[in-house]
Amino acid sequence: MTVYESDLPGVGKKHEVELGDESRLVIVTHNTGKREVFRRESADSDSEKLFELDDKLARQVGTLLEGAYFQPVRSGDIQTLLGEDTLIEWVEVEEGSEVAGQTLGESDLRQVTGASVIAIERGDEVITSPGGDATVEAGDRLVVIGPREACRNFVDLVEGS
Amino acid sequence: MAGELLEFGYLFAVVAVTGAVALRLGLSVIPLYVVGGVVVGPHVAGRLDLPYVADGEVVALLAELGIVLLLFFLGLEFSLDRLRAARRNIGRAGVIDLAINLPLGIVIGLAFGWSLVEALLLGGIVYISSSAIVTKTLIDLGWIADPESEPILGTLVFEDLAIAVYLAVVTSLVLGGGGAGNGGVAAIGQSLAIAFGFLGLLLVAVQYGTGLFTRVLDIENQEAFVVRTLAVVIPISGAALALGVSEAVAAFFVGMGFSTSGHRERIERLLTPVRDVFAAVFFVWIGLGTDPMLLGAAAVPLVVAVVLTTPAKVLSGYLGGRVYDLSTHRSLRVGVGLVPRGEFSLVIAALAASGTTQVMREVIPAFAVGYVLVMSAFGTVLMQRSDLVERLVFRGGATESSA
Repeated sequence: MTVYESDLPGVGKKHEVELGDESRLVIVTHNTGKREVFRRESADSDSEKLFELDDKLARQVGTLLEGAYFQPVRSGDIQTLLGEDTLIEWVEVEEGSEVAGQTLGESDLRQVTGASVIAIERGDEVITSPGGDATVEAGDRLVVIGPREACRNFVDLVEGS
Repeated sequence: MAGELLEFGYLFAVVAVTGAVALRLGLSVIPLYVVGGVVVGPHVAGRLDLPYVADGEVVALLAELGIVLLLFFLGLEFSLDRLRAARRNIGRAGVIDLAINLPLGIVIGLAFGWSLVEALLLGGIVYISSSAIVTKTLIDLGWIADPESEPILGTLVFEDLAIAVYLAVVTSLVLGGGGAGNGGVAAIGQSLAIAFGFLGLLLVAVQYGTGLFTRVLDIENQEAFVVRTLAVVIPISGAALALGVSEAVAAFFVGMGFSTSGHRERIERLLTPVRDVFAAVFFVWIGLGTDPMLLGAAAVPLVVAVVLTTPAKVLSGYLGGRVYDLSTHRSLRVGVGLVPRGEFSLVIAALAASGTTQVMREVIPAFAVGYVLVMSAFGTVLMQRSDLVERLVFRGGATESSA
């Protein structure tokens, strides 16, 4: 992502954010504190004003966008952070998932993703430290530990995306 | 005393009403304040035997404060660092703007048989765009988010610097007796030497006095903050004027000094209303001194100036936009965006009015008022309908190149 900053003498500052396609988000911050937000379709088109906010409201909205109040998580996943980069994550195994019906040894999840299954929740039952011969069934909830990246791979694989 | 207070009440009521009209119509307040001043002044309301606001010394003094504060704020926003950072683009676009529009105004003045100083005054009036009106229109139209706003605002910054130098020179020429044509080279030389001596000292003080400026304003209390700021700006400007040096330029330099003090934003927040009150009085005062009958004498120069300087400004702005590597479409908008003239043309008119010749005292101020009224409205309309301007210009260009 590239952000372009320029001075607007007598007005304030302008920041332009590339949105990935041709378009850019343009944020004009007035010296008075007012923010105006525009979207420019392409380099040659005129910016369309989306909305404006006063200073206080802009800060509140900015905090929301930053994720201070709510960090989006994939549905069904819960995670806990251990240290800088290690997560414990709960992953639902849905009907039709690649790993359903296989033993942990067969799906070889630890080798493939780098994250380990430390428990399987099945209804009220909890299988702790499951071995390679433990079978994963649809409807199970797997408790997984590993680096963030590994957990992400794990979730992708189990959810089949 | 009672009568004067009542007159002042009248003046501010006019400001409030014309301001409300401007807000309602989405126009800049500047031309409407001026028109309001003309209507309630001695030349219209006075002649109709209605209650009117006299063009007295007290109004003139408050208007003077308006000029000082306008230029002080210009200095606050002006930063040498900013100019240095974008020197190449701002410099080239600004020089093109200066090199086309100022000489054009001077030539128009000379063509009417005016003296060099008179022609120089006309040049300044038609050269300088209105920061207030242009910036407001940029925001209203949303151009502020598009690339054309950068060369437009950059050119305005360059004009600020140019007008500071210009006012320093021309004030000395007008007040130093050069305008009468019999002051002689020595007198002009002397007044210029005083001007540049004083302003040079002030500039040095401003450059090295940042610490002092910072300490003076290092205070929590808002009232003390506002009063201290005024207690620096007004005495220095007053001392300048007492020496025959431009009070406006002195205020500009003081503003520059405060801009690096770390208090800039607080000054802007707390003193903007103060500036706006006195600036409003200044615009009304300009109207008070304008005799609509004299507009007749200025009509021919006015029409000639509008017809010639509008395309010249569009052209210089267009070339400036090309310096910034903008497309022809956006460059044309830069040109159109610089057409509105306003407050600084009127500051120059106020300077001319203190001159010695009949052209300076009567014709140029009337000309400036007419010119600002036309160009502020016309410039804004051109910006709003820039699509039409574009079709007109580029269709003309296409037929030319095909012919």
